[in-house]
Amino acid sequence: MRTLVIGGAACGKSEYAEALAAVQPEPRYYIATMMPFSREDYLRIEKHRLQRAEKGFITMERFTDLKGLVLPQRGTALLECLGNLTANELFAEGGAGEDGAYDAVTSGVLALEAQCSELVVVTNDVFCDGVRYPLETQRYIDILARVNNTLAARFERTVELVCGIPLPVKS
Amino acid sequence: MVLVIGGIASGKREYVKKYLGYTDEDMADAVLDDRPVVYNVQDIVFSGSVPDDVLLEKLLEKDVVICNEVGSGVVPAEKKERAAREAAGRLCVALAEKADKVVRLYCGIPLVIKGA
Repeated sequence: MRTLVIGGAACGKSEYAEALAAVQPEPRYYIATMMPFSREDYLRIEKHRLQRAEKGFITMERFTDLKGLVLPQRGTALLECLGNLTANELFAEGGAGEDGAYDAVTSGVLALEAQCSELVVVTNDVFCDGVRYPLETQRYIDILARVNNTLAARFERTVELVCGIPLPVKS
Repeated sequence: MVLVIGGIASGKREYVKKYLGYTDEDMADAVLDDRPVVYNVQDIVFSGSVPDDVLLEKLLEKDVVICNEVGSGVVPAEKKERAAREAAGRLCVALAEKADKVVRLYCGIPLVIKGA
């Protein structure tokens, strides 16, 4: 089963995704995508680490080129999150850049999917604040939207988190 | 307590009037007073005028709490805005957990996402 978990900031999507993955077969890999730059970032990573500490995940960090990631064994993978992965591919050094970001992220998820029996992917809803952003940001929004749409079409299940409540979008 | 959420102008107050029977006089705009309904709760969070735990406690005493969904945008560049957005999201998760009923307005249509 492949599940896409989507929601805005602080809506409880990580907790939900972790709970979902934590009852799936071991080994359970948590693929972290956040490239830390600041103290705030490190605190956020620490918070997430503590949150999943007792849930039996093996953490693997991967900031770009998800396609090249090799899982040691077949099991469950939780990828968090596509918002960061897409930003890394677009903006970070070593990323695929504007022309390659969409393919890098989607082919990365497909490669991951081929290596596990259960997959949970967390993504972000960044589409509903009604703000018109500068071109660079707008490109990011467009690419992330395309990634989300592709994966939602492909996966068996898509769940939106609202105030901690899971709402089925596709099941 | 009933928690009513949704985007800007999605019909949240209209819902509270039409389906829950409250009037404009019952509704406080981003202030905590004796009125049974409070709306624009995100503005209370953003102002930082009430500590998070006190705010949660006061809101749980209300009949109806109305809050805009504010998390579905690009991560704000300003640290303060990021923290405020995070706080508003966390508050709504905590409110939803305790609420008897959670209603999400979308295009004016109420979706009951918790309770009956």
